[in-house]
Amino acid sequence: MAKPRGTDGSLLASLPWTLAALAFALAPHVQFLPFWITGAFFVCASWRYTIERRRRALPSTWIRAILAMLCFLGVLVTYSSISGVGPGSALLAIMAALKLLETRRRRDQFVLLFISVFLVMSSLLREQYLWSLPYLLLAVLLTMTAWLRMSAAESETMRQNFRTSTRLVLYAVPLALAMWIFFPRLASPFWAVPIDTGTASSGISDTMSPGDISSLSLSSAVAFRVNFDNTIPAPRDQYWRGLVLQHFNGRTWTGDELTIASQPEDQIVFGGAPVAYMVTLEPTRQQWVFALDMPYAWSLARTNIGPQQQLWRMQPIDQRVAYDVISYTEYQVDLEMSRSIRDRYLAIPARSNPRTVRLAQQMRAVAGSNADFVEAVLMKFHEEEYFYTLRPPPLGSNSVDRFLFDTKRGFCEHYASAFAVMMRAAGIPSRIVLGYQGGEMNPMGDYLIVRQADAHAWTEIWLEGVGWTRVDPTAAVAPERIDAGISGAMLDGTAAAWGLLPPSALLHRLSLTWDAMNAKWNDWVLGYGPENQDKFMQWLGMDDPDWRKMMLTLVSLVVALVAVISLLLFLRNRPPPRDRAAVLYQRFIHKTGVTISIGETPAAYATRVRSRFSADSIDTITSAYLDARYGPVDPAALQRLKIAVSALSHPHQQ
Amino acid sequence: MQGGNTLEQLPTGKDADRAALGRAREVLGSIILGKDKQIGLALSCLLARGHLLIEDLPGLGKTMLAQALARVLGLSFRRIQFTSDLLPADIVGVSVFRQNKGEFEFQPGPIFTQLILADEVNRATPKAQSALLEAMEEYQVTVDGNTRQLPRPFFVVATQNPADQIGTFPLPESQLDRFLMRLELGYPNEENERMLLTGGDRRSMLNEIDAVCTPAQLQKLQEIASGVHMSSPLVDYIQALVRQTRESPEIDIGLSPRGAIALVAAAKAHAYVEHHSGVYPDDIQAVFAAVAGHRLQPAGNTSYRSSAELCQHVLDTVAIP
Repeated sequence: MAKPRGTDGSLLASLPWTLAALAFALAPHVQFLPFWITGAFFVCASWRYTIERRRRALPSTWIRAILAMLCFLGVLVTYSSISGVGPGSALLAIMAALKLLETRRRRDQFVLLFISVFLVMSSLLREQYLWSLPYLLLAVLLTMTAWLRMSAAESETMRQNFRTSTRLVLYAVPLALAMWIFFPRLASPFWAVPIDTGTASSGISDTMSPGDISSLSLSSAVAFRVNFDNTIPAPRDQYWRGLVLQHFNGRTWTGDELTIASQPEDQIVFGGAPVAYMVTLEPTRQQWVFALDMPYAWSLARTNIGPQQQLWRMQPIDQRVAYDVISYTEYQVDLEMSRSIRDRYLAIPARSNPRTVRLAQQMRAVAGSNADFVEAVLMKFHEEEYFYTLRPPPLGSNSVDRFLFDTKRGFCEHYASAFAVMMRAAGIPSRIVLGYQGGEMNPMGDYLIVRQADAHAWTEIWLEGVGWTRVDPTAAVAPERIDAGISGAMLDGTAAAWGLLPPSALLHRLSLTWDAMNAKWNDWVLGYGPENQDKFMQWLGMDDPDWRKMMLTLVSLVVALVAVISLLLFLRNRPPPRDRAAVLYQRFIHKTGVTISIGETPAAYATRVRSRFSADSIDTITSAYLDARYGPVDPAALQRLKIAVSALSHPHQQ
Repeated sequence: MQGGNTLEQLPTGKDADRAALGRAREVLGSIILGKDKQIGLALSCLLARGHLLIEDLPGLGKTMLAQALARVLGLSFRRIQFTSDLLPADIVGVSVFRQNKGEFEFQPGPIFTQLILADEVNRATPKAQSALLEAMEEYQVTVDGNTRQLPRPFFVVATQNPADQIGTFPLPESQLDRFLMRLELGYPNEENERMLLTGGDRRSMLNEIDAVCTPAQLQKLQEIASGVHMSSPLVDYIQALVRQTRESPEIDIGLSPRGAIALVAAAKAHAYVEHHSGVYPDDIQAVFAAVAGHRLQPAGNTSYRSSAELCQHVLDTVAIP
């Protein structure tokens, strides 16, 4: 086997740029990749650079083969699969790292930069945030610059390369836009990539124990955004209904299996003015669909209303969805209730929370009616030493007893739970509703942001002749929570008492602006799916758009754009008329086969080549060229030059 | 296209002024043998209204060239031999008190002429040298507070021995800058030297020269020469050359804008002398060493031994557009 030769250091100038481009393209993947892959890349990159610097030899084929096998096995073990976005990008990163170890020539460097472009593209399969767009553009620019750097003349500066790559990327923008607009979006894409959905869900869960919601309150992540068509209901009417819980085991509330209500029309009687709006719901990986209490009609497919008036979709919400809803804030639900159902809403585990049960029964006895009893309980919360706080003390078993008699500090779920238990103890059917309350109007985009911090729990009680009625005990303890919402309370400082620090006004403004931009990005870019494309095509005048028509439009548009860009480039670089003499002269030099040296005048060149051709024709060409190019404008000289150059025959034919 | 063919190419009878120029060149060539290139440059220099510095060792025909130029162009000629005791008054003149008239009368110095030969200009003290300066730049001299115009056209042809000879005061850069061109004559080749040795006496030949034009005609020629067409690629070329002199590591001080202007004027005049339809790259290259050579300050570590080599290096590194 031949002794491996060291590198010649010819890549030393361009290699750092290639490495930088790769690192830049890899960076968005790092948080998803196992640590050892990122490590492997940096080890290989610095190894390769040292090799080039010290003019050492590249690792032998055997070492590379073993490394490749090891890495492949590593990916297989880590992901137990090699398909999908995760293992795919892991393999890409490995490929970049290992390809470095066999990069000898420019050709190999080309492959590396291709990988870099692929890395950029594959990071879009994971995340499509607004902020990632400029970053990825920058990564593409850097890759292009590294590309130019590779074949650049030494005299070219970095700045020139960067300018060229920027220009190239700009030329590509119209093409990319055309592709994006016209490439047919299909409802079930055939190119579907298995995206790791993960198991972690965000937002509220489908059970409620003390402390579940208060932990959400510290999260400013967006739950959903709402665009109201006309009227915006008052904050105290903004109850975003999610799920309903009615089973209580002494500590935790749970709901029923999801079923479809048998006669939804019979359950609910709507009244008052309708409120129309559009909700853009961030993925929750759960089935709950949030709508303003009480939803009347909704546009989301495969979505039903359950027996407790909760909206839910057949499959979990894994991607951002937007849907229109019409709600009525005045309604009557379940005016009639059978004995057996009523019993279910009254169930309390025996021997749990005895003090609460006793208190409720005493208070009911004192009060004349159910309505008076409700009023009395709310008054108790309002007037006694109960506090609203996001950092309540821990409660043991019999959590309601502990809260109501000992700690007296709680968040909405504590009050809702205690209230519901007291109602049941006094013979009033009750249940808990989980959802969001309030939200913050974003003046930048005129829409409502509902954050995880706005998560809320409230109570519904059933009263004879009235049906289910919403009672929010939190409103009795901390009315500002309901009137101003969490964000409002945080801004004016009242939330400080609950354990939340107010953000700075400027930061808050910035975050609202950023959120508005993100909302637009979601609407206009990420939301451009089959439906929006269809609408846009019809707006463009394409009736009955289907994928064939769109492909045809796309292809012709791309061809036209390429033609226009080429034409622009051509016009830009076309020599002005005067320089046609220079072009002809270049042709003459090409014909003679003798290169003209730097700083050599046409006359000097003529003396050099005169012996090879007929001296006359050389002199004619030279003098015609000098006249045409350097003399006053003289079309005749140009004509002479043209004729003489085309008449000049090759030396062999003479 | 080189100088030797010029006469045959002349458009006979069509352009009398230009024909005179060709004759002047022929006559000069018969006196200063084998120096056609330098003669062409010297004529270009005068046509571009520039002053000329001829630098070389003694005995190579510097003075002869200056005298011949004056005669052939029909200019009045004076000569000042610069010595270390030369006073400014010896150049510009003095006011003498006339007893019979009872007043001062200005005795014009030798500078009041159309072509003045400042022979061995670097032998004089800086004070005397600077007396020449005002005249070269302003075309006037000031004596006793009176400013007197010099006759037009006015040319200074200075000769100097290379600065490393004993007893010389090298011209400062500011003064060198006033000369449009600096020429070196160099030794004649074998053949021409033989003709010099065997041929007639040069000095008597000088006396037989007839002027080919009048001073007025010469001024007209200058006017025409300054209007020679210069295409924009060649303006680019001149800019590139100037930039190269400023950026080259071989050169400490590059060409000033005045140097660049001089280059344009000289190239135009050269194109006129060579009967080109406009300025050609060859014109720029032909005058480049003469115009730029004495204005450049070579870097201390440069490997080029003479300014001519340095100028050639610059020409060899800049592409002609």
